[in-house]
Amino acid sequence: MKTASNCTTAEILAGAIALGEAGDEQRHAYREHLSTCRGCLATIGGEREIERVINVVAQARDQEQWQPDVRRALARVPARRHGWKWGAGLAAAGALTVAILTTQRHAPVVVRSVAMPDVVGVAALGTQTMPQREHRAESLAFTSAQAARATITFEVRLDKQGKPSRCTIVKHSGRASLDAALCDAVMRAR
Amino acid sequence: MRSGLETCVAMDRTAIAQRRTEELVIEHQTKLARYLRRMVGDAEVALDLTQDVFLSAYRTLQADPARELRAGWLYRAATNAAISFMRRRKILHVLPLDRDLDGSAWRVDEHGAQSVDLQAALARLPVEQTAALLMTSYAGYSSSEAAQILGTTADAVRQRVCRAMKTLRHVMNEDSLS
Repeated sequence: MKTASNCTTAEILAGAIALGEAGDEQRHAYREHLSTCRGCLATIGGEREIERVINVVAQARDQEQWQPDVRRALARVPARRHGWKWGAGLAAAGALTVAILTTQRHAPVVVRSVAMPDVVGVAALGTQTMPQREHRAESLAFTSAQAARATITFEVRLDKQGKPSRCTIVKHSGRASLDAALCDAVMRAR
Repeated sequence: MRSGLETCVAMDRTAIAQRRTEELVIEHQTKLARYLRRMVGDAEVALDLTQDVFLSAYRTLQADPARELRAGWLYRAATNAAISFMRRRKILHVLPLDRDLDGSAWRVDEHGAQSVDLQAALARLPVEQTAALLMTSYAGYSSSEAAQILGTTADAVRQRVCRAMKTLRHVMNEDSLS
């Protein structure tokens, strides 16, 4: 006899069959249900049909060729919507932790890096929205060649589109290359 | 104001969190980003969400460097991030059903005889079904493991997989007719 609860059980059995988790007893129970339920036969199908459908997902996984690089992607992520990619820009410069002191759209934005390791490979995590007051921009350092740390304070001005138009080093790190790299990255940040 | 010792401890925690996050990134970034790409149907968004997941991991480890974070934790965070994104953007309602989201790369050759737009089928599914289907058949978790990650029961995962397959089958049959 076909009932709603039988069909619900059949769905669970079919899912177990699809995932390779069904034993002989469960497969038999599913076949018995199909013999009395045209609805499930039409919408789910038999075991071979289940295998055919689920194989599409497995093949998609096996054929997948996309090789994402989370760290590399950070340096090239374009502007999206009204989002900012502070982390992306700062990543290239190697900022570890950044505190946004004051932010106001179309007004000067003062960003102070409170810690900057000498980083070779850095991945930072970008924020999707304009930095908020006292917001700590997300960034991560992954490979630090040296443990040297430096502090840089810099100021960024935004144009009417909200893009960085000028970067000024307020407090130097003592290492010109780091200062230049930071401003260069900030100016490319979107 | 922080004492020198507190500063050293904080720096040490940060260093540990960085190292452990780096290990997680190296080991899981590809599978996680691919899973998210299938969930949301957009590579750039998937990368963003993947970054968010690792940021969460970093913050968690920074707060508790001894905490053990496994792949399941990452997938739970990734699934929650994808669900939040999809609900926020109402992507299931915005995307046309027949939209080829990322060109031919989305199409899957079914036994070499026909090709099916899996992503178009996934776009039709409720997000819970997408997560269950991808968590098991794509990411390779059992229904019990997926249930733990998704915060439900194994039977619920199996049922969601079955219901997702119904839609997928329907799309495949539509494709073969067209």
